[in-house]
Amino acid sequence: MLGRRSTFWLLSVPPLLWLLVFFAAPLLLMGAISLSGDVSGALFNLSNPTVDQYRIVLGEAGYLRLLGISVLMALGVGLIATALAFPIAYFLTFRAGRRAGFYLVLLLVPFWTSYLLRVMAWKLMLGSEGVVNSFLEWARVIQSPLEFLLYNRGTVVITLIYVWIPFAVLPIYAAMTRIDRPLLEAAADLGAGPWARFGRVTMPLALPGAIAAFFMVFIPTVGEYVTPLLVGGSSGSMYGNLVQDFFTKAANWPLGAALAIVMLVLTLVLVAVAVRLIDVRRFATL
Amino acid sequence: MVRSSRPARVVSAISITVALILSACSAGPGGSTAPSGTGSLTVLDWAGYDAPDFWIDFQKAYPKVKVGFEIGASDADIYGKMSSGDQADIFHPYTGWLQFYVDQGLVEPIDTSKLKNWSMVPDSFKKIGQIGGKQYFIPWDWGFTSILYRTDKIKSVDSWSALFNPAYKGHISMWDDGPGAVTVSSYIHGWDETKITADQLAQIKTEWTAQKALNLFYWSGEPELVQGMQTGDVWAAYAWQGAYATLLTKGVPVAYATPKEGRNSWVGVYGIRKGTPNLDLAYKFLDAKLGVATGNNVVTQFYYGSANSKVMSSITDATLKQAFSIDDPAILQHTNFTPNLTDAQRKAWGAMWTEVKAGS
Repeated sequence: MLGRRSTFWLLSVPPLLWLLVFFAAPLLLMGAISLSGDVSGALFNLSNPTVDQYRIVLGEAGYLRLLGISVLMALGVGLIATALAFPIAYFLTFRAGRRAGFYLVLLLVPFWTSYLLRVMAWKLMLGSEGVVNSFLEWARVIQSPLEFLLYNRGTVVITLIYVWIPFAVLPIYAAMTRIDRPLLEAAADLGAGPWARFGRVTMPLALPGAIAAFFMVFIPTVGEYVTPLLVGGSSGSMYGNLVQDFFTKAANWPLGAALAIVMLVLTLVLVAVAVRLIDVRRFATL
Repeated sequence: MVRSSRPARVVSAISITVALILSACSAGPGGSTAPSGTGSLTVLDWAGYDAPDFWIDFQKAYPKVKVGFEIGASDADIYGKMSSGDQADIFHPYTGWLQFYVDQGLVEPIDTSKLKNWSMVPDSFKKIGQIGGKQYFIPWDWGFTSILYRTDKIKSVDSWSALFNPAYKGHISMWDDGPGAVTVSSYIHGWDETKITADQLAQIKTEWTAQKALNLFYWSGEPELVQGMQTGDVWAAYAWQGAYATLLTKGVPVAYATPKEGRNSWVGVYGIRKGTPNLDLAYKFLDAKLGVATGNNVVTQFYYGSANSKVMSSITDATLKQAFSIDDPAILQHTNFTPNLTDAQRKAWGAMWTEVKAGS
């Protein structure tokens, strides 16, 4: 029979190895590549580490500006997606009753199709011969197609919000289902109206879920590159597109790796600062 | 004999395992000893060219050989993969990117006497695959680059500067590529594209940064451009003639300009990775690539030219003739071949383009 110790190792070694080989090692490799001077010939020859790539990244105002814009976009997408997901989670928890499971499945149905397909659908919606323009022209609201709908930063934000809402619902929903119903009854018995009950009981108890939802959206959105590629046009590109460009278009892996590491560090710092400022535990114990 | 200590045994066990794994890797699929009718081959190619139609002659001749494909997203991507140790036997770069492979010793020189179809390749194409007097690459597909425009939106285009025309604001689409942008600018200014100075590059960057406000999107795959032009969102674009022919067959009113600065022309070539264990099969694959059936499929399905002159001389379809400008005897005089990039140019031009895209 297996002892406690061997069971522990048996269960934790495979995932640990997996993380080591497919997460930690590539990350280290990327860090190493970012310290090499050139892609030609000596990509993995790291005998002469140099910080030249970082000097280039930090010296080019355009890159940092785009990083700033990407952070702001991610902030907007994170806040709006979380705000929109909140009522959905509330509905699922308190109003949907026995059908909650069914609605949850409905919410997740879009994930059965590919991400690419869902983003491309927005092109069909917003293009100059797309659904929105065709309808408005048919209804004689406009004479010629609205061109600002597609290929700009706004489109990227809208599409990303759409993509993230279902994800954002899940942690909020999980937090809300854990709320003890007797707490709400007690509040009502003590004379709290619906708004007071929401503001003093439901909201604070659901907040950790909302904060988790925000970060779940914010962190990957900072490095997003597929959505801007498809619907962003020339003016809607994000920082992630720079990274991708240096790997696939400019054949400059070291610079691409340095850009990626800079973004990683900045995101970690931002999240650390935010966690400090918000102090999640305060809400959890309220 | 003294029994080895426990750590020593562990170490030797590990090293034996590692040695086994390494030897298994280096033998590779198929191995070098496989008879010519079997085995396997890996090709690093562009999306689309992995379809059997584009290596049909090989498939017919060697049905038992397993051909696997890796997909490269661009020349830079293919170069990045090959220089970081990709194990593909055959790869498919385009003019402009050939010198690097030779300089870094990534490509095997080719003994053309082993290729039965070699005599069907015109000398002008053969030269494109030669570097330093040696044949390193086999030319295969070729095409033009010019400005493609919607004739219902734009009357006529006679210069590359159409891509900078404010009258088409929001309806222009440039190819997402640094060297491509430098090529266009050097045509417009009449500069020698192989000798772009730092000042000229700075000016190119300024001009393309200003162009960004006019540009709807930078296309990276041809279907993306075709869709944009079909819906009428894009009126004028940097384009290969594949997009032109596709739109013609869809009945979209488009024309392919013959700019006064000249069209650009590119050639795709195949190279064999230096040290491949499947050298014999690689030769057979390249020979079959030059076959007539394969070449015909390139012409009829992608509207690109074939390096096989027999394929080109048998074209009768009017749309295709128009796409290749076959009946225009002067068209090659209006064409500039893409020169080979240097390492420094690739880096500087790539960075310039990324900065253009990152800028406001």
